[in-house]
Amino acid sequence: MSEETIYQRLEKNGVSRRDFLKLCGTLVGAMGLTVPPLESSGLPGHLLTEDQTIRKVAQALESKARIPVIWLEFQDCAGCSEALTRSQSPTLIDLVLNTISVEYHETLTAAAGHQTEENKQSIMKQYAGQYVLVVEGSIPMALGGAYCTIGGRSAIDILEEAAAGAAAIISTGNCAAFGGLPKANPNPTDAKGVWELITDKPVVNIPGCPAIPEVFTGTLAHFVIFGALPELDDLNRPVTFYGKTIHDRCLRRPFYEAGKFANTFDDEGAKQGWCLYKLGCKGPTTHNACATIKWDAGLSFPVQSGHPCLGCSEPDFWDGGGFYQGQSAPLNRPAATAVGAAIGAGAVVGAAMAANNSAQKKRAAQASEE
Amino acid sequence: MNWTTFLHFTRGPLFQVSLLIFVGGMAYRLVRVVLLGWKGDKAPAKGSKLAGVAKTYLKGFLIFPFIPWVKRTFNRNPIMYLAGGLFHLGLFAAILLGTPHMLVWKSLLGFGWPTLPLPIVDWLAAASIAAMIALLFYRRTNSLLKLLTGPAETLNWLLVFLPMVTGYIMTHHLFFQYEVLFSLHMLSVDVLLIWIPLSRISHFMFYFFSRTIHGVEFGKRGVTP
Repeated sequence: MSEETIYQRLEKNGVSRRDFLKLCGTLVGAMGLTVPPLESSGLPGHLLTEDQTIRKVAQALESKARIPVIWLEFQDCAGCSEALTRSQSPTLIDLVLNTISVEYHETLTAAAGHQTEENKQSIMKQYAGQYVLVVEGSIPMALGGAYCTIGGRSAIDILEEAAAGAAAIISTGNCAAFGGLPKANPNPTDAKGVWELITDKPVVNIPGCPAIPEVFTGTLAHFVIFGALPELDDLNRPVTFYGKTIHDRCLRRPFYEAGKFANTFDDEGAKQGWCLYKLGCKGPTTHNACATIKWDAGLSFPVQSGHPCLGCSEPDFWDGGGFYQGQSAPLNRPAATAVGAAIGAGAVVGAAMAANNSAQKKRAAQASEE
Repeated sequence: MNWTTFLHFTRGPLFQVSLLIFVGGMAYRLVRVVLLGWKGDKAPAKGSKLAGVAKTYLKGFLIFPFIPWVKRTFNRNPIMYLAGGLFHLGLFAAILLGTPHMLVWKSLLGFGWPTLPLPIVDWLAAASIAAMIALLFYRRTNSLLKLLTGPAETLNWLLVFLPMVTGYIMTHHLFFQYEVLFSLHMLSVDVLLIWIPLSRISHFMFYFFSRTIHGVEFGKRGVTP
């Protein structure tokens, strides 16, 4: 990592001052930053502009050196890395990738084997207490961590070692955040999310399958610029991006309110773009920024292209009911045998009580006759 | 435990257990009532019992409740008639014709049906909630009802009110996060399901028994023992 500042590096790469400030503005937008210090200052409204915040971001980027990042992959599919590297919003992603230096990433690194591992060790020593640890994939705890080993070491071992020297940890994707697909019932590997295992370091969760690249970079940029993680919700997700649900911001929401639903994927309702609630949309309980940031440079997101939200940024979404089953429906239907047994048991007890009562009645009648 | 996990619990295992207790409990109550027996006629009665049943359902269940002035309840006790009627109407509109509830039935029964637009269900539900509050107030102030009201009656009111009010707030996305209200709604429904067989809310089933028996008595012409 060079000690030149982020701005110097950008300048060297041909980014003009004007473009740099534009990028700062984009970053401010991506991070959802507002101007609370100015709002409380009592200044007249027309003076309260985002310029102040942009200036602050620009100052930070001009004065700070790039932040080293160690990116670990465990029980994952590299989908989050793929989403980030193939993101279609190059300005923002480039900017963020310019503000960090990825020192270790198994999928992207050119080196391999012991060479990479040694490099990681030296980076961890050199930047102890400074680097950001990004984790992708869940950590298996069953059989002493034997389900996922790298270089002969278990995932939990590698994670704990890397977490010890990290300034902050970012769990990207549902797997690293909440266990994701590997944790789906019956969870054979006893998969866990990072924040369940590492409790002595700040952990921010960026769930999603995959995580939205802009959400990941926005959070990382916040750390780079302010040296601290953004405000988090009760599941350690940045409030800026996860404060609202898909349903809150959905473009099909008016159809929900009006009771206009698509009943199948090819009926008139589906063609008219009506609400997908009946087709299993999990939008109402899914906190994410898909409906606003969208994917592929703001082109679309699942609900817009006609598919119900799967709820991929929520814990245990694989076990949260069928993807195409209405969200209000119970998670599973009780087995017919269980229902039959309940009815049978109720009927038998009822009949026994009734028989007992009628016998008692008969005895009483006999007694009164005598 | 976070709210999503709690929601999975209340929509999953807890709901299943509550449903089984509800079904088993209602089967028990039904068998108990049916096996109470029915005294036969000592002499053949004149008139048609079936016609009596048909008439009592037609008049007493399907027509008269909607023509206020023929009902004594309306003349003597308009609050009970209006609030009671509105409550039942809104309740059934919501649980049978509200889209989210239809999907519950669909997942349990395997088939669904067309539903009402949200604003209509919403107004009926709001009317139901208002009616429930009016009924509680009435129960607390009427001297006769005060004598008839014990802890079980208050609990009946509360356990029906909670699902309605949580459902209403949830639909409007007010005050709390959706999954928080969804969890509380499901929890209150689960508790209600367990409570129904133990309480007079079971009248949703026994109402039809008493009305049928009344119909038989009305249709019969003769001396009853």
